[in-house]
Amino acid sequence: MNSLRIVWCLFLGSLFFSVSAYGEDTTKRLDRLEDALKGQAATIEDQQKTIDELKEQLKAKEPEETSSLSSKLTGLFGGSLMTNPYISVVLDAKGYASNLKNSQLNNRGVPGFTTEGRGLKNGFNTDGTELFIFAPVDPYFNLYANIPVNADGATLEEGYFVTTDLPEGFQVKGGRFKSNSTRLNAQHPHAWDFADIALPYKAFLGAEGVGGENGVQLTWLPPLPVYTLLGIEVLQGDNPLLFGKDDNWGPHAFTAFAKVSVDTGDDSTLYAGPSVIFGSTRSAGILPPDAGTGNTFGLRGNSALYGMEAVWKWKSGLHGVNLQGEYLYLVQNGDLTESAATGAAVSVHPLHRHQDGAYIQALYRYGRWRIGARYDRLELFADTFERGGVQENFSGKPWRATGSLEFNPTEFSTIRTQFTSDHSGRDARVNNEGILQFIFTIGAHPAHTF
Amino acid sequence: MRKLFLAIVLTLTLTSPAFAGLNVVATLPWIGSIAKEIGKDKITVTTLVKPSQDPHYVEAKPSMILAARKADIIMYNGLDLEVGYLPLIIESSKNSKLMPGRSRNFDCSRFVSAIEKQANVERSMGDVHPLGNPHYQFSPHNIIRVAEGMANALAELDRANGDAYRANFRSFAARFKEKQKQLLSLNLKGKRYVAYHKLFGYLAHEYGFQVVGYLEPKPGIPPSAAHIEKLIEEMRHHKPDGILVTEAHGLHEAESLGAKTGVKVIVLPQDVGDMKGTDDWFAFVDKVVSSLR
Repeated sequence: MNSLRIVWCLFLGSLFFSVSAYGEDTTKRLDRLEDALKGQAATIEDQQKTIDELKEQLKAKEPEETSSLSSKLTGLFGGSLMTNPYISVVLDAKGYASNLKNSQLNNRGVPGFTTEGRGLKNGFNTDGTELFIFAPVDPYFNLYANIPVNADGATLEEGYFVTTDLPEGFQVKGGRFKSNSTRLNAQHPHAWDFADIALPYKAFLGAEGVGGENGVQLTWLPPLPVYTLLGIEVLQGDNPLLFGKDDNWGPHAFTAFAKVSVDTGDDSTLYAGPSVIFGSTRSAGILPPDAGTGNTFGLRGNSALYGMEAVWKWKSGLHGVNLQGEYLYLVQNGDLTESAATGAAVSVHPLHRHQDGAYIQALYRYGRWRIGARYDRLELFADTFERGGVQENFSGKPWRATGSLEFNPTEFSTIRTQFTSDHSGRDARVNNEGILQFIFTIGAHPAHTF
Repeated sequence: MRKLFLAIVLTLTLTSPAFAGLNVVATLPWIGSIAKEIGKDKITVTTLVKPSQDPHYVEAKPSMILAARKADIIMYNGLDLEVGYLPLIIESSKNSKLMPGRSRNFDCSRFVSAIEKQANVERSMGDVHPLGNPHYQFSPHNIIRVAEGMANALAELDRANGDAYRANFRSFAARFKEKQKQLLSLNLKGKRYVAYHKLFGYLAHEYGFQVVGYLEPKPGIPPSAAHIEKLIEEMRHHKPDGILVTEAHGLHEAESLGAKTGVKVIVLPQDVGDMKGTDDWFAFVDKVVSSLR
């Protein structure tokens, strides 16, 4: 107790000593301290104000940002989003009704062009579900894959890279892809304006056009006052009708195309361009087996398919008009080999074809509804089909007329009805068909291609 | 033939307009308008989407791709608004400068604090934007930050004119301050409206009014008769001060609702230049806020 008192005395003594030692400054120091305290109080008050304001702002924001997005959206195994590419799935289902029987539909080719049948059966058809996957690979490439899955399994229709870092408007695409040479070739079936491909395409290339081909493409967009896209492609040439697999040669199909476009007003655009697809041909799909002997026909030769396309679109508010037409002209020369069922060649005749075809279509959209009409015809100006120097006589010129009505509840769904009067069989039998089509897209947002 | 082709290409190349500063491509009119304020005579602005066009449903026209081909910088709204066409335009432009992740790929939404972010979202909810409400052209609070971001980006790209961009931003900011004072003095606090599309969230947030109902049952989905009946019932209870609509979207539906309920229809511009006297962003926001009074 005593010692504590001594410490206190010493402390007070030293305090007194220090204060008395600087006696004359004491008042000034006290004033200074008071000032400093006041200043600090003001600062604290200011800071409190700021804190309150921030709190208020936070409170105001709270209802919107209940949880941080980044914490919700994660990739595989809790990894970053980057492990997930963009994925979308498109379902394309059809109901089909025709006055013809399934067997008749199956054998209904276009004589002088293709033996491929209708490809749809009376009743329910699910063409398949297409799986799209895409993402940038790195700063230099984007990667795309399109895998249709149907009852027969999954196929790789497309799987290609696109360069993003070449200078001067050049771009290379490589892998397996749909040719961009003509308009319908480049589009996926669910993006077509009608449930099926136009007749000239079916006749010269098949029901899906050129289809996915292994190859490489180079395109160039020069900085001209008018949109001008130039492109060339080197393809393996697997299309069974125009090229066909060739074991002796590598790539044996080539394309070249140009697309030009101008805006014809604030609301309308014209898009047009020529193209050519050419290469060597080994096809067994042009003529059906001989009705009497059962002998089959195979062609070995060269083909060139010249094309011209034009699209005009007008869009204003809820209204939209879309006019589109394409003209295709085929030159094909080669040897047609007739083979017996044993595989032995019976005869060889030169085949010489100059045939053409065109379609024209018009669509009118109002809000979520769209109506369309299409007319397609083969052998408009050229109908040369000479076997051994003799013109083949097919009766009549193939044509079709189609009307459609569409309801698009959102941009992710389409319900389409389509009626076609099909006179492409060159016989007395007309295929009057009705199609009810459903197209649904889930996943990544589809691209609004022109 | 080849010579002729070459001659044509050369003439076309040489006769194309002379290079007048930076070539700025803006997706939406308001972006072009702000860019013009910041760039003035140092840049040439090309705007892809028309003021009256619905920015959700735009097709990647070849003319847009060509504009991007020639661009030094592309400026866009972001928050997935242009998701249907912008990636396609950029890839097809074959202009490596504009690819995502590069400084010439200018996403205006980077400077925006978005409202109405959705953590759990699916398309059954309609055309919802998970990253937040993308219509922030109505938000003065965010626009000033976008303008500053633009000034910095342009100054970075075109260093020789950096001071000009920064000075232009300062005068923009001064005008902005004046305008903001004037607009806030109009006092919209406590007002209640019904709107067609979810366009006005930012405005409501900043000016203190409420949007008590929407004609669209879900974003992007047109109203059904049953939904309108329900809305009329709700409006009897809420007594809103007006029905907000844009000319391009739902005007007919809004007018018929207005006739049924006696609530006045207020037609607003959806973007800069959509209506007369909205030629720049200031005039646009002025028109919007003064129409709400």
